[in-house]
Amino acid sequence: MVSTTSREQLLTELYKSMFPVVAKYVARMGGTFDDAKDIFHDALVVYYEKVIAGDFEVSNNKAYLTGIAKHLWFKKFNQQTELKSIDDNSFDIADEADEQPSTKKILHYLQTAGKRCMDLLSAFYYDKLAMRDVAEKFGYAGERSVTVQKYKCLEKVRETVKQQSLEYADFVE
Amino acid sequence: MRTSLNNTKITDDYVNGVLPTSDALLMEARLILNPDLGTEVNLHKRTLNIVRQYGRESLRAQIEDIHKQLFIQPQHQSFKDLVLSFFKR
Repeated sequence: MVSTTSREQLLTELYKSMFPVVAKYVARMGGTFDDAKDIFHDALVVYYEKVIAGDFEVSNNKAYLTGIAKHLWFKKFNQQTELKSIDDNSFDIADEADEQPSTKKILHYLQTAGKRCMDLLSAFYYDKLAMRDVAEKFGYAGERSVTVQKYKCLEKVRETVKQQSLEYADFVE
Repeated sequence: MRTSLNNTKITDDYVNGVLPTSDALLMEARLILNPDLGTEVNLHKRTLNIVRQYGRESLRAQIEDIHKQLFIQPQHQSFKDLVLSFFKR
C-alpha cells in the first residue's frame, strides 16, 4: 500500500522512533545489541506484512510494533532457557519457505536473471499494491497494460521455476 | 489478452481464491479430469510462494540498509549514541 520512496521514508521513521524503545527493552532484559537488532528487524517484517501490506487495523501502531518485538523477545528468551514457548504464535513470521531444496537456488537465480518481473510481481503479491500504483511505480501507461505485463511475468517466472526445478532435481534428489 | 494469458489469469484467480463460484466449480471439475492442470496449479502456487519470499528478502535488505545508514552517517550520531548507551554496563 506504499510506494518505494514512501516505504523507505516510513521504515526510516519507524526505525528512528522505535528502535531505541525496543533496544532499551532488550538491553534491560539482558540481551545484546545484535539481539535487539535481529528482533527489531523481524518485528518490522511482521508489522509490514500485517499492517502496511496487510489489512490488519491497529489503533496504536507504535504500541503494536513494540508488542510484536516483546513477543519475539520472549520467544527467543524462552527458547534459550528451554522453557515452554508461549502458545500465541499470531505475531510469528508466516513460514513462506517450502521444503524443496531447490527453492533457494531458484530464488537466487531469479534475483539476478528475472529482477524486473520479480519486482513487478512482488509489488502485487507481497506489497499488495493497487493496480494503479504498480502501473505508476513501473512506468506503465495504465492499469490495462500493467495487468497484461503481470500475467506475462507470471508465465515467464513460472516457466523459469519449472525449468530450474527440473535442472536442480538432477543434482539434488 | 491472448488465450494463454487468460488461462494464467484463471489459474491465478483460482489459487488466490478470487475466482467466482461457478468458475471455481468448473475449475474443480477440470482438475479431476485433467491431471496436467493439477501440476500447473501446483507450479503456480510454488511460483507465488517464491515471489513472496523474494518480496520479503527485498524488504529485509531495505531494513538492513536503513540500519547501516543510521549507524554510519554522522547526522544520526545522537541516535546511535542513544541506542548504544543502553548496552553499556
